[in-house]
Amino acid sequence: MVNITSQYLLNLLLNGLLIGLIYGLMALGLTLIFSVLGIVSFAHGEFYMIGGYVVYYLLQAFADLEPMLAILAAGAVTFIIGVIFEILFLQPMGKGDIERPGEYAILLTFGLAFFLQHIMIGIVGPFPTKVSRFYDFIEMDAGWLRMNKATVWFFDMPFSSSRLIATGIAVFLTALMIWFMSKTWTGRGLQAVSQDRQAASVVGINPLRMNTLAFGLGTMLAGMSGAALVTVFAWVPWIGMAASGKAFVIIVLGGMGSMPGALLGGVVLGIVESLGAGLYPDPSKALAYKDAFGLLVFALVLLIKPTGFFGRKL
Amino acid sequence: MKRIPLQGKYIQGILLFLLLVFAFAFPRIMADKPYWLYVALQSFFWAMMAASWALLAGYAGQFSFAHVAFMGIAAYTSGIAGERLGWSPVSGIILGTVMAGFVGFLVGYLCLRLRSTYLALFTIAFSEIVRLIINAEHQLTGGPMGLYMEPLLETTSYVPTYYIMLAALIVTLLSMYAIANSRFGLFFRAIREDEEAAAAMGVHVVRYKIAAFVITAMIAGTAGALDHHIIGFIAPNELMIPRMSLIIAMAVIGGTESLISASIGAILIHFLMEWLQAIPVSEAMMAKLQANAATVQQFGLTLGDGVIQTNAWRMAFFGLMLMLTLRFWRNGLIQPLLEKIGRQGIAEETVAKRKLPQEENENTEVQP
Repeated sequence: MVNITSQYLLNLLLNGLLIGLIYGLMALGLTLIFSVLGIVSFAHGEFYMIGGYVVYYLLQAFADLEPMLAILAAGAVTFIIGVIFEILFLQPMGKGDIERPGEYAILLTFGLAFFLQHIMIGIVGPFPTKVSRFYDFIEMDAGWLRMNKATVWFFDMPFSSSRLIATGIAVFLTALMIWFMSKTWTGRGLQAVSQDRQAASVVGINPLRMNTLAFGLGTMLAGMSGAALVTVFAWVPWIGMAASGKAFVIIVLGGMGSMPGALLGGVVLGIVESLGAGLYPDPSKALAYKDAFGLLVFALVLLIKPTGFFGRKL
Repeated sequence: MKRIPLQGKYIQGILLFLLLVFAFAFPRIMADKPYWLYVALQSFFWAMMAASWALLAGYAGQFSFAHVAFMGIAAYTSGIAGERLGWSPVSGIILGTVMAGFVGFLVGYLCLRLRSTYLALFTIAFSEIVRLIINAEHQLTGGPMGLYMEPLLETTSYVPTYYIMLAALIVTLLSMYAIANSRFGLFFRAIREDEEAAAAMGVHVVRYKIAAFVITAMIAGTAGALDHHIIGFIAPNELMIPRMSLIIAMAVIGGTESLISASIGAILIHFLMEWLQAIPVSEAMMAKLQANAATVQQFGLTLGDGVIQTNAWRMAFFGLMLMLTLRFWRNGLIQPLLEKIGRQGIAEETVAKRKLPQEENENTEVQP
């Protein structure tokens, strides 16, 4: 039994917040895909996994490569894969060539997840890989804030520096994405298509092209959040399944297709997981049940209020 | 008046009969290769899973991903009943089937309001929760180490178990066929096409949706409990999502709207997968591969004794096949073939029918 103090609780909360902001970035991609294309991509976690591996391989090949460039490259690779997949397999759906588009999209993205996951097992093998942290922190001691290379103590609460870096990257990318969606013409075009496809095409937006762009951007966000988190977790080719699960929980919690919902849902999930794992009475089962807490919340939201926090009416 | 018989129906019947004869004679043909006999009896398990999923998804339109969870619940129920209460495998399988049906009822009931994507998400969450619980409650289930199950028969020969699995497959296929071709099947399809319209026409949507879940869960449960009593072991890893993907790939590549196609697809894919696991290569080829062993290793392939092991690549291949089948052959690969055979002679018959009234009315000979 862990000794629960208010500081311990606060530490759990803040750790949950840190990881939740990254979850939010990943779910932002999924919710963007849903709002524009009207489908849930079951392969979302696989793009997250690929993003992580791109960084791993780039840093292996070029030891002194700037990690931020590797993250950009991961975004580019996942964007390209997403766009190619969208053009080959999802375009016909937008054109109305597919009989039952809803089921087609579910099974197809499911197949894509299976395909990408096993391709990666074939390439990297079933063993976990670990990427060392992107930057070392300076050593300092200012009383309330102490640092060494790997850990930061903020009022004596420890935080891992790789988590802090990952969260920093995620917050920056999220801000960039919000700016893009609300201030640029392309971003507004995406929003227009998500609100009303026909009206959007009347004012001169090509909905099919927006589909491709939205899918590519969505997979890119997944890839970049994977790239940011690759230093935090041990990376295995099937890590995407858990990530997909988290992204589903978040977008359902926040309301499918809602961007603020995705961010809020991410933070909520991060905190729920952190508190659940930290406070579960039997520590031997706490880790095993960590994912189950999120899923349980998820199943309940689906059954009771499928529209989530900010969802549109079904 | 001469009628041209529907050759296609006969050919289809003869083919099915030959297939059945082949299935019954298989242990004799493969008498010296027990491994392939084992592969065959495992393929019947996959066939039952794929066909029951096809009934739920293809006929009733409920794209559920909880199928392996039902399978696992039945197998674990039977295993635990055997270990804790000393139940025999047969009564354990029956209990497991009932349990799977009960859980299927609950899931079906909870999913009444959920459509397509939401249903898929809910059932994925459900099967993950089942897997996590089985993983965590190790006192009861053995946790990640798995659970040993009492073997069904006390023999080392695969022949009797082969016939048991074959019989189970035939019985479940026949009963599902009967369901699909009864009023039940019609209601399932009506719900799949349009729930509101079906309800307006007097279909009791709630009842039939739940019935679809219960029936298919029970079939998956029987298959799972039976098969794992034959294997003698079950582990939570067998409940993971990729297993579900494999069942979906089998059903889709076979054809989701025909039970027999889905099961043939499953059997073929299972055999193909076993064959792909270790592809035999010629000696000259082997020497070439051995010279580049490092490169071969890098691509996740392993060189065995005269064989090349494809490891994860075969799975990637089936994932790709699933995507391509969905994109280009909506009805699967096996089903159109069977249909083509079944429709042979229909064109001739139609032409002959068209000519008939002419002959009677005008009483003139038709030019050939």
